[in-house]
Amino acid sequence: MIEVLAILFLAPIFSSIPIAIAWGIEPRPRWAEKLSYLSVFGLFLSLLASLYLLIYLGELSPEAKPIKYTIEWIPALNINFVFIFDYLSRIMGVLTALIAFLIGVYGLEYMRNDYRLGWYWFFFNLFTASMLLTVYSDNMLLLFIGWEGLGLASWGLIGHWFRDDDELSYVGNVGRKIWKLNMFWTPSFAGWRAISTIRIGDMPMFFAIAAFFVLTGTLNISEIDWHGLEGKVGTVGIVILITAFSMGLFAKSAQLPFSDWLMTAMTGPTTVSALLHSATMVAAGTYIFMRLSWYIEPWKFHGHGYEYVYILVLFLGLASALYGALVAAGCLERKVLLAASTMSSLGLMFASTATCYWVGKIGILVGFWYLVTHAFAKATLFLVAGHLIHETHDRFCVGDFEVAKHLKLAFIATVAATLSLSGIPPLTAYWVKSGMDGVMHALEHELGYLPLVLLILTSMVYSGFLAKFLSLNFIKGKHVHIHPHGGKLMEISYTAMFLMLFLLLAIYITSYEKPFKEFHHEGFLPSSIAVGILVLAAYIFALYKPQIKSKVGEFLGDRMYLPFLNDLIVAKFGWVLSTLSDYGNRFIDFMCHKAVPKLFEIYSNGTRMIQSGNINTYIKIAVAFVFIVVLIAAGW
Amino acid sequence: MNVLIELAIFIPLIVTFLLPALREKAATALSTTSFLIPMVLSLYSLLKLQSYNVSLFDFGPPIGEFYILVDPVSNAFGFTICLVSAMVAAYSLPYMRHRFVEMLHHKEIENSEKEFKKYWFLYNFYAVSMLLLVYSGNFLLLYIFLEISLLTSFLLIYLYGYGNRQWVGILYFVWTHIAGVLALLGFLILAFESQTLAIKDLRAVSFVAWLLIFLGMIVKLPGLGAHMWLPWAHAEAPTPVSALLSPIMVGLAGYILFRVYMIDSSFVLDFKNLILAYGIATSIYAGLSVLKQTDYKRLLAYSTVSQMGYMLIALCLGAAGLAGLIVQYMSHAFGKSILFMTAGAIIATFNLRDIKKMGGMHEHIPTIANAALIGFMTLSGILTIGMFGEFLILAGVAKVYGFDLSVVLAVVVVFIISGFYSFYTMKVIYYGRPAKYEKPKFSRLLDAPLYVIAFFSVIFIFPPLATALINGLDFALGGELVKIIKEVLGGVRP
Amino acid sequence: MLELAILIILTIAAALSYWDRRFSLALSLLAIFAASVILPLAPLLTLVAFLGIIFLLVIKNNQIAGVDYVMVAFMLVVTVLAFVVKDLALLLTLFVAASVPTYLLVMIGDKLNIDIGIKYVTFMVLATILFIIGAALTYYGYEERSPLYIAGFLILLTGLCLEVGIAPVHEWVPDVFASADPVPVSIIASLAKFVPFVVAYKIFLVTANPLTAQLLFVVAIVSAISMFVGNIAALTSYEPSRILAYSTVANMGYILAAFSAIMSKELIYFALAGVLLQLFVNSFGKIGFFASIKGGGTSSLYSWILGVSFIGIPPLMGFWSKFFIIYALVFSNYVWLAIILILNSAISVPYYVRLSRILGTGWRRNIANTTALISAAAMLITVIPPTWFVDLVTMARW
Repeated sequence: MIEVLAILFLAPIFSSIPIAIAWGIEPRPRWAEKLSYLSVFGLFLSLLASLYLLIYLGELSPEAKPIKYTIEWIPALNINFVFIFDYLSRIMGVLTALIAFLIGVYGLEYMRNDYRLGWYWFFFNLFTASMLLTVYSDNMLLLFIGWEGLGLASWGLIGHWFRDDDELSYVGNVGRKIWKLNMFWTPSFAGWRAISTIRIGDMPMFFAIAAFFVLTGTLNISEIDWHGLEGKVGTVGIVILITAFSMGLFAKSAQLPFSDWLMTAMTGPTTVSALLHSATMVAAGTYIFMRLSWYIEPWKFHGHGYEYVYILVLFLGLASALYGALVAAGCLERKVLLAASTMSSLGLMFASTATCYWVGKIGILVGFWYLVTHAFAKATLFLVAGHLIHETHDRFCVGDFEVAKHLKLAFIATVAATLSLSGIPPLTAYWVKSGMDGVMHALEHELGYLPLVLLILTSMVYSGFLAKFLSLNFIKGKHVHIHPHGGKLMEISYTAMFLMLFLLLAIYITSYEKPFKEFHHEGFLPSSIAVGILVLAAYIFALYKPQIKSKVGEFLGDRMYLPFLNDLIVAKFGWVLSTLSDYGNRFIDFMCHKAVPKLFEIYSNGTRMIQSGNINTYIKIAVAFVFIVVLIAAGW
Repeated sequence: MNVLIELAIFIPLIVTFLLPALREKAATALSTTSFLIPMVLSLYSLLKLQSYNVSLFDFGPPIGEFYILVDPVSNAFGFTICLVSAMVAAYSLPYMRHRFVEMLHHKEIENSEKEFKKYWFLYNFYAVSMLLLVYSGNFLLLYIFLEISLLTSFLLIYLYGYGNRQWVGILYFVWTHIAGVLALLGFLILAFESQTLAIKDLRAVSFVAWLLIFLGMIVKLPGLGAHMWLPWAHAEAPTPVSALLSPIMVGLAGYILFRVYMIDSSFVLDFKNLILAYGIATSIYAGLSVLKQTDYKRLLAYSTVSQMGYMLIALCLGAAGLAGLIVQYMSHAFGKSILFMTAGAIIATFNLRDIKKMGGMHEHIPTIANAALIGFMTLSGILTIGMFGEFLILAGVAKVYGFDLSVVLAVVVVFIISGFYSFYTMKVIYYGRPAKYEKPKFSRLLDAPLYVIAFFSVIFIFPPLATALINGLDFALGGELVKIIKEVLGGVRP
Repeated sequence: MLELAILIILTIAAALSYWDRRFSLALSLLAIFAASVILPLAPLLTLVAFLGIIFLLVIKNNQIAGVDYVMVAFMLVVTVLAFVVKDLALLLTLFVAASVPTYLLVMIGDKLNIDIGIKYVTFMVLATILFIIGAALTYYGYEERSPLYIAGFLILLTGLCLEVGIAPVHEWVPDVFASADPVPVSIIASLAKFVPFVVAYKIFLVTANPLTAQLLFVVAIVSAISMFVGNIAALTSYEPSRILAYSTVANMGYILAAFSAIMSKELIYFALAGVLLQLFVNSFGKIGFFASIKGGGTSSLYSWILGVSFIGIPPLMGFWSKFFIIYALVFSNYVWLAIILILNSAISVPYYVRLSRILGTGWRRNIANTTALISAAAMLITVIPPTWFVDLVTMARW
């Protein structure tokens, strides 16, 4: 077992170290470019290891007992490397490793002439290892190591093109300004935005982890007595703890109000956007929430504290989903549009997982399978977008049917992925979305129809902007000149990726296991079909009318001015505080270096003024002193 | 097995007096080696959880026994000091060459060979005095080493610093001298009350003694308000000296507080809330100040003040906090020494300190930029030993303050700010549009030592080092750390 | 008997000096070495006197060549005797005897300096009168604890202050230090300071009564004033001899501060050790620095050792002396005075550093520099923690 784990986590890292060192010694060494293949080979080994864990560890079912493997770390404190292999982690692990490998292959061509391959591959592979660590670890401190690795890799790759010299890597319209805010972002700035936003979430999460440790004596998610914990710390305690923990998840998964970093994260290479900022890393937040819910099992004891938190997560997820969908609808940048749609999907995952408090494990499973479906579909779209950017040298949605003719595979992949993802019957996401409709509907007694309405609304907008993406890039967009580049590897990669969607479809339709049989059941309900038709209608409408110019659209495209929160309100607030502290320092410096020394100087000169050299004066002073002394004595 | 760590720590002391006789390269090699030996031994001793005393001589009351104190805490500090000192020693060669050329050019010195001899003597003496300090088993001995380290570092600033170095040197001297003597006063009261200053024989510390020691250490640490000397001293010192001053020396105040706390914790427990608030205020204030700095070294100096606030916070948080204090010292030492050396590398290659004139420096010096990244990761506790520091402090908060939201939020904000300024600085200095400079050629000694420290910073989160460190700290804290979980697990170990 | 023999030797030396100063030099040296066996502490005092005599060799055209060595040796003998003697009349005689040679010494130099002599002598006479009157009154009144005792005590204190140069009656010190020749000044600043303190201490001790504890508060205040005046005034002085003058004022303040602690039985030896060690620090430091001035600078190593010792960095002598004083103060409930002392030692840092820098210009081979070297080396004897010094103090026949 330990060998498999070593390969799983270490192969990606060690295989990328040679290229990192080569690039450290020399800038752009020609001889070292081939080392990229070594890095991808490392990813491949990791994929094999994850497949091993999927296949050879007994039955794969939601009800199976988790298998755990422990390596000693700090046994005195009961903190160990505890790896857990259950339904969620085994599938998620393969998903991560597979997508990382496919995108790695794509990257071999996409990044071929990059000036910073050492950095790229090191962080790409570090990301993969960290993600796998996050996925498989049961111990929260170990998980947090992976978690920080994700944040770091994300930062490193967003700011990959650190020179800020290529406008193709920016986000936003260069030069555009609203009031005092520049509405465009450079890679180096976007990197800082990302890591600082994530840190706002991570630190409360870290506190929650430490508190779990102190309160329960263990850090293993699967071992903590979650029910007993509520008895110990009370309703308020649980709300504080789980909310603090979830802050990290929300920030990582770009939920409101932390979402804006994900939009500007699109300054990174497209491979990064595809892997980190849609398929896997951002989904880590939702994944951890699923894993937590999986072991809290809130449906079994209905704690009050948990209820508040799950309601919060449900509505935050739905609100983020709707927000993301609307922003995507108003957005014209290829990657930013997809980023906003990712945020929307993540919101849906959170929301459907949160329903587990009322509907049980099925809520988690719906969310999880939506995650899987979304990962392949969105990765496909991103990879296509990257290819398009390469061919058209434009990061905005442009292209007419010429493009579709030239890039047939890209076109087909986009059609397949958009149709599969929007939830049009009977394609892949339809089944999961039906499950989602079902769980939301089940909340009717507790929370009314609001969740279901929000979900359907989101689904329609979602399908609309996917169609818009297709239409504006391949059918009705501006005519654009194409620079053919080859791109065979890239095509292979996204073809494989969208074919995975059909594999998933096959599983959904043919399998009778939990949760697929629930999907079938929901999918054949008339109400679900009705929603499917609504979604199809939105799709077709948007295909024919991809762009409606209006103030509302502009407002949505500017992300409802949310960047003001990050870049103006919070930033100005921090600026004011640090200016105040700066004045404080200047005051202290003034006191210590000007005022007090001056005072000393005055006193010093005063004391030395007595030194007139005139003996008469001295004698007078001495006599005066004697008299004072005598007076003191007399007064005693 | 006794590893003779108590002898090994005197090797650098003996070497100190040999160094002036050697040429610069030989001196560099010898100085580095002399710290590597105790480094290896202290690490071994830490792994083996050794704890013993070696008596030197006994003065009788009221001073008591002078002895060498070997325990996991002094080994943890000793290891850190040796590692950083050894690496900075290697780094000194190219850096001080540059500095002496510059000083020759300005006619501030006459002969760089002669200055090198002085430099090596002072450098080694400075570093070894701090090493001996953490192994001192008597507060008087400890104070003596504190003053020696103060004097040698003062001379290094005074002779080779930048800017108005004589003024800065005196400023530094005056403040830290006050700090030292206040602590001495506290120790004296302690001696009078207990008739000994040997750490092992002390049982109680009265309020006045604690207060004086605490005040002295606040100046030295430094806390908010008393911090004004630090940015000047650490920014204007020659960079290898900054790389010892900031990472190693100020944190020793935390070490002393730790030792006194272990004898008698009453003072801290009584004023827990006040000290905690002060630590938080220090950390946040200095953290915010970092964002306003335009001088790279000054920026790092303010970050030091902010990190020292962690120490005060950790002091109030029970067993977990104390363990956090020690881990925090180590992580700060690793991170900050790397960062000061990156600042020095930029000075040595570009003669550049002003951040406004930097930007995109990764383009010219990628190895330095990547080292700086690891340095800042260590400060903000990402994938490095700093993570343990933060974890232990947060665990302490949860243990001592529970769900007191104001405390929790304040500590969380402190950590967030560290991350903010770390990556902000990375962005401003190393990323963005590259400033127009020639890509330089520089000595490997300017970047390789940084990676050695970085290596330790990372592997300290993995076994066996993490295991040994935490076990050692638990041992030094008398099992209090493990008690935290024993209490909740009801004595049953899974 | 030995004392008598030494005095005879010195008389002969003085007589022979008219014939050849080398005889008088040899005999004076013989005398000071002989005196070093009288008392456990005496060897250190002999070292001070030895340095003084060596330093005197620097002066060319010495107007009283030969007699000067004898006078230094005589001062040493008087100093040693002051430790031993218990009788009041004898003590006061010794006080005068230690003071008088300096009246002459202050005027010598490369050219005779009468003006400064007059200024100095005026003050010394005033000091001596007050000291003696004070002593007499104290003796007279201490048993009844009458106001006379209080007056006597305070007048004695004033005399002491005038004699050694404690603020606020320190006015003669900067003038004399700045304008007299460095050689005699170094002797005035070193060897001449012991006797007044020792005699005053003995009188205080014999006449101690419950009133004394209250009067010591006045002593504490005067000492605080002296520290502040000396240190702050030195901050803006740039002429080395003037800096040294103010440094003397401050140092005398430190020593007087230790007097505040003499009432406590357990601490008496720490207080005394502090007083004496600080006197030695002051002696070696002043001789070393004045020698550097006279010799046109010395090696930077020596000047730094001297300066740093004055600042009080372990393990140099200046650290231990302050250590003992602070120790004694803290435990006799004068914590505030201890803190003032700490602040003052911090204030003093800039000017000692300045002094070390100004005078550390490079080693030259001459007698003055040798004197500086020996003085600097003497500062290092406390590398061995000076519990031995406390023992020596305890062994002295108080």
